[in-house]
Amino acid sequence: MKQSLYQPINGEIVEIIDESPTIKSFVVVPEGGFKFKTGQFVELTLPGVGEAPFTPSSSPADTEKMEITIMKAGRVTGMLHECKKGQKVGIRGPYGNGYPIDDFAGKEVYIVGGGVGLAPIRSLFLTLADRVKDFKSVVCRYGAKTPEDFIYKNTLFGSWQKMDGIEIKLTVDEADGQWKDNVGVVTTILEPNDVNIKNAVAVVCGPPIMMKFVTLKLLEFGFRAEQIYLSMEKNMSCGIGKCGHCMLGKYYVCKDGPVFTYDRIKDYPNIWD
Amino acid sequence: MESAFINKLKPLLDAVAGQMDVYVPKKVGQHFVYSKYDPSAETGVEFNNVRVCTPIKEFLFPLRELAAVFPEPVEPKEIKPFAVFGLKGCDLRSIEILDKVFTEDEFEDPFYVARREKMFIISSDCFEPAESCFCSVLDGKPFAQSGFDLNVSPVNDGFIVEAGSQKGRDFIEKNSELFSGPGDGLLAERDKNRTDTQKQLEQNNAELKFDAPIKRIVENSQDSDVYDEEAKNCIECQACTRVCPTCHCFYLYDTKQKDYFAKMEMWDSCMRLDYATVAGGENPRKILGDRLKHRLMHKFSYFLDRYGIDMCVGCGRCVDGDAGGIDIRAVFKKLSQELKGKGKKKAEVGK
Repeated sequence: MKQSLYQPINGEIVEIIDESPTIKSFVVVPEGGFKFKTGQFVELTLPGVGEAPFTPSSSPADTEKMEITIMKAGRVTGMLHECKKGQKVGIRGPYGNGYPIDDFAGKEVYIVGGGVGLAPIRSLFLTLADRVKDFKSVVCRYGAKTPEDFIYKNTLFGSWQKMDGIEIKLTVDEADGQWKDNVGVVTTILEPNDVNIKNAVAVVCGPPIMMKFVTLKLLEFGFRAEQIYLSMEKNMSCGIGKCGHCMLGKYYVCKDGPVFTYDRIKDYPNIWD
Repeated sequence: MESAFINKLKPLLDAVAGQMDVYVPKKVGQHFVYSKYDPSAETGVEFNNVRVCTPIKEFLFPLRELAAVFPEPVEPKEIKPFAVFGLKGCDLRSIEILDKVFTEDEFEDPFYVARREKMFIISSDCFEPAESCFCSVLDGKPFAQSGFDLNVSPVNDGFIVEAGSQKGRDFIEKNSELFSGPGDGLLAERDKNRTDTQKQLEQNNAELKFDAPIKRIVENSQDSDVYDEEAKNCIECQACTRVCPTCHCFYLYDTKQKDYFAKMEMWDSCMRLDYATVAGGENPRKILGDRLKHRLMHKFSYFLDRYGIDMCVGCGRCVDGDAGGIDIRAVFKKLSQELKGKGKKKAEVGK
């Protein structure tokens, strides 16, 4: 008989990067390599403890290893934060649809991220940066609670800012002494003329409350619901549209998503909860 | 031979039991449950006039099973052929529904498929529908139409056995000494029994004739207070989802054994408070009424949109099993009334 649909492949954590007081990135080497599309997710198992869904934050171009950025939020993520280099893990996936980047070609890509929501966006960003000429422009707006809470600080404050064809603006909810940039939630740095809305797509990823208000703001600017791509976080467990935990209306977020344009989900109850 | 006649059930089941384990209905209190058939027992087997209490999904999608072993995977256990006797029309439809989920294109579940292939299905006609049976409301019949290997219909002095698959035809042929020809009179008797039971069912459910399809009634109920009202009686026992033959939510959890790790798969219930909660604490259905609504929407709208079939067979197990007294039929009635009310309001506004 064939192996179970839930058989993980073995992997190992080879590096751990402290990103912020509550967020770490784990570099994982899956046995035999691993292919995924940007925006797809994996189920990462900490053996004997449990598994949880994460969208890799690294570029899909690297099939030898992947980076998974994890905020300490619950039981499994708490235990993952205790792990040391060399920890064995299990990986299932990749699951879901990912970002339809070919559909973004020729358009202005307006990326709005907040907090740990930068993780999937980093993977998207690296994918777009590899073929930046295919897009009219790539415009990024990122927010974090405080300067310390930004993840990928080195590249975010450094090399990414200098890339051709890419424009980045940052903001924090609360500044510290050194912060000279914008202060305010991420919606305060969104301007109607950041991109030419007629030929743009917006990609939003962050905490639910931030996604909600960014979506409302974008609609107010004149974005149509089908131009807004949301990366939805639900309780994905099986990953293949069977167990039911991640249902959002008629959709299984794990299989039909996790990336949805707003028009597909807007009429269902409590989508931001 | 498609149909045959046999005097008693015992020789039929003994012949099946000669080849594989057989599970048969056994009356416990007021209800039937399944137990393994013992050919040496003198009492033989009881014919269940109505569906058993427990859902058939147990045989295909067990309450708990080993989903994966790692880091060193082990060869999954081979499934041995087994037979189940006494499935009703509603049970066969519930298997059709589970097939949609577990044999779906790229995500076919090999464990489910193995059990499905190894299961020899001996269905039987209903004789005395339970008070809670409402299959007729969902276009169900109190007898098997498809999806069985053999079907058994009680008639005067015996049973008509009909083959519904190649496996069934082979069985009748191989065991031809057990059977005689059914005769036109007996077939006519079977058909009359079926019509009578069907009529009785329709009579029992006469009040459940609605002006709109159930899909529309349920979809229209997004803003209804009915669910919050019903939630006042719900004690969150989750029995409705456990006994439901089509509910198939499950969760995966990890365990540490002596020298390996195991991933287990176990039934879950969308009625559970933290069923949809994410690690950050957000929960789209923290209100019980919203969970009741989601369950109905899933059964009569979402599933239908995805698979073209309702995720309910009208077996009434949830009505019997509900400790809080929620009756899905009463919920339909209330929601249907609300839809009618809305129609009226619209008509008045239009005047």
